[in-house]
Amino acid sequence: MSLICNMIAPDCVLLDLEAGSKEDVIQVLVDVLAKAGHVADTKLLFKDVMTREALASTGLGYGCAVPHAHSAALDKTVLAVARLNTALDFNAPDGSPVRLVFLMAGPKDSAGLHLKLLSKLARLLHDNSLRGQLMDCPSIAVFQKLLCERDN
Amino acid sequence: MKLLVFVLNKEDYLEEVLEAYVEAGVAGATLLDSEGMGRFLAYEVPLFAGFKEFMKGNKPYNKTIISVIRNDAVVDRLKALVDEVVGGLDNPGTGIMFTVPVDWASGLVREEEEV
Repeated sequence: MSLICNMIAPDCVLLDLEAGSKEDVIQVLVDVLAKAGHVADTKLLFKDVMTREALASTGLGYGCAVPHAHSAALDKTVLAVARLNTALDFNAPDGSPVRLVFLMAGPKDSAGLHLKLLSKLARLLHDNSLRGQLMDCPSIAVFQKLLCERDN
Repeated sequence: MKLLVFVLNKEDYLEEVLEAYVEAGVAGATLLDSEGMGRFLAYEVPLFAGFKEFMKGNKPYNKTIISVIRNDAVVDRLKALVDEVVGGLDNPGTGIMFTVPVDWASGLVREEEEV
């Protein structure tokens, strides 16, 4: 099932973003989702994502992180991605700084879908080859294509 | 011959469940300490820590009882007895019981020695 592929909209992918901190990236991605019309309350979504961050690291290791939250700020599960120019600390289990950030947010009653997406993203991003390609690819179209090719 | 697997989430019932096994005619069983996937993900894998709230009310650990059953009637008797003890396996979070066919086994209690 192409769960991730269907959720990666080009206007929610940012390549080579400059950000000064984890909070900055999350704020930018929340704003991107809001601009795409997915978020009713950006302050609430940012707060919910940061509350989840405070619970335990959302860093997967290998330079990837998936900050996420269940939130009343939106009514469907959505995804936004940033590839950072400068890697940032997400307190990942392996200690590696993060360059690929997938922000996932969904309503509180979609825990099943949320869990499935989180697991799928984690599995895809554990693949060395895909990760390398996502880190180096030249355009949003290629980034999206790479994810869609693996997400089946 | 069948392998009967019972994952008992409510460990408090273990003693009564094993009494039901004996009463139903199960000659022997092996008990394993086990843990649900949800509990492990939510508490041991940081990425899934946000799902702890969905684990509320769930037992963190469970017992898995495995036994080889020669006679299908034993399974029927046991299911009825276990339902009585745990209040029905259809209630979510109580436990899971299933069988799979066994085409060969060695080391079982001899049939004539079964209770």
